[in-house]
Amino acid sequence: MPPPATDLPGAVPPRRAGSPRRDPVLLLAVAALLLVLRVVLGFHEAPSRAVPPSGAPSGAGAVQWRTLEAGLAEARATNRPILYDFTAEWCPPCRLMQRQLFADPRAAAEIESRFVPVRVLDRQREEGRNARWVDSLQAHYRVNAFPTLIVAGMDGRESSRLEGFMGRDATLGQLRGTGVSLRWGMTGQAPPDSR
Amino acid sequence: MNLTLVLATLRQRFTSPIRLVIMLLFGWMPMVPILMAPRTGFAALGDCYFLALALAAGMIGQDLSSGTLQLLLARPVTRAQYVFSRWGAVATGTFLLVVLQMSCAAFIMLVRGVPVPWDQAALHLGNSALLALGTAAVMALLSSLAAGLGDLGLLFTVFLSAQVLEKVGMFKSWEWLVRGAGELLRGLKPELDLAPFLHGGPIAWFAVVAYLSTVTLCLGLAVVVMNRRELSYASSGN
Repeated sequence: MPPPATDLPGAVPPRRAGSPRRDPVLLLAVAALLLVLRVVLGFHEAPSRAVPPSGAPSGAGAVQWRTLEAGLAEARATNRPILYDFTAEWCPPCRLMQRQLFADPRAAAEIESRFVPVRVLDRQREEGRNARWVDSLQAHYRVNAFPTLIVAGMDGRESSRLEGFMGRDATLGQLRGTGVSLRWGMTGQAPPDSR
Repeated sequence: MNLTLVLATLRQRFTSPIRLVIMLLFGWMPMVPILMAPRTGFAALGDCYFLALALAAGMIGQDLSSGTLQLLLARPVTRAQYVFSRWGAVATGTFLLVVLQMSCAAFIMLVRGVPVPWDQAALHLGNSALLALGTAAVMALLSSLAAGLGDLGLLFTVFLSAQVLEKVGMFKSWEWLVRGAGELLRGLKPELDLAPFLHGGPIAWFAVVAYLSTVTLCLGLAVVVMNRRELSYASSGN
């Protein structure tokens, strides 16, 4: 009768309880469970993370976008500049910026403390036209690409402009500065007929 | 976790001259903004990601390439214990460095007559501890896959690949690719903000689950990889 395979020289001993090579079954089970939960929560959060318009709930810890009227009133009352986010749902960099910047609790807290955030959502591609105030703001600030962030005072004068998205930290760094006018990063070009 | 292994790892990491130089560089550079503007508070210190990387690089891989692992595992230590001890040691070492860094920052603030923001200190300490545990877990997995300092190469490769995939997804408007690459990038730097827990804000449960999932998955896979690794006791290499 041949010897068992594990008795052969160089054979790997079986992985049984008490073996130095025992796999962490409980840890792996917890990891698998968390992974499933992560995917489920990811799908559940996806619709709320896609660019919610002003006034709509933005999810826990995310920037809460004011409507234009509420934003202007708050800016007047608190003497904070308005941060306009010119964006569109079809624009991938805009969705990325929403996920990485505006939905990040730490970044959101900083943005909320420095600015009054107002989102200007372009609906030209989806609905064929925009609300008048959206067209008017896009024309006033000469927006020709998405995303574009404009920091403006109560007089409507633009003090900072950021076009495109190059990551959370870079954008936050630019927002911390004042009077900076930049054009950089990846943009979703607005269609010519969206003006 | 094995205390002897943890202490040995800490001793090994803190007596390496190159690591000490790198840690000094990453640890003391943030002191400049604190010196210039102490009112900025602990936020000026930034996070401890690069400190953790400096301590973690080659945490398992160097034992593999030097042949130390064969000697180590001849002792009554399970491979899981070995991985957990390395992970715990790197996270503890990073945390100690953060404490040291914050003590210096607090000292500078006191000397300059600026009140120390203790609530901010607690938050910074908590966030740093979580980032240290997360980064150490990711590096444990990468280090179990590559010998020497190959874990840093793997980290860089995965980072670059994810960046490229994300940009491709953005150009092609493939949301699933942008999302997948984003999750991969998030997984390379597992962090969790404790501010909502400490200050009572709304909690982003996805971030909590994503963090825990990354840490447990990396640790579990690192042990599995180590368990399946065959070590040659006949030569000095692996």
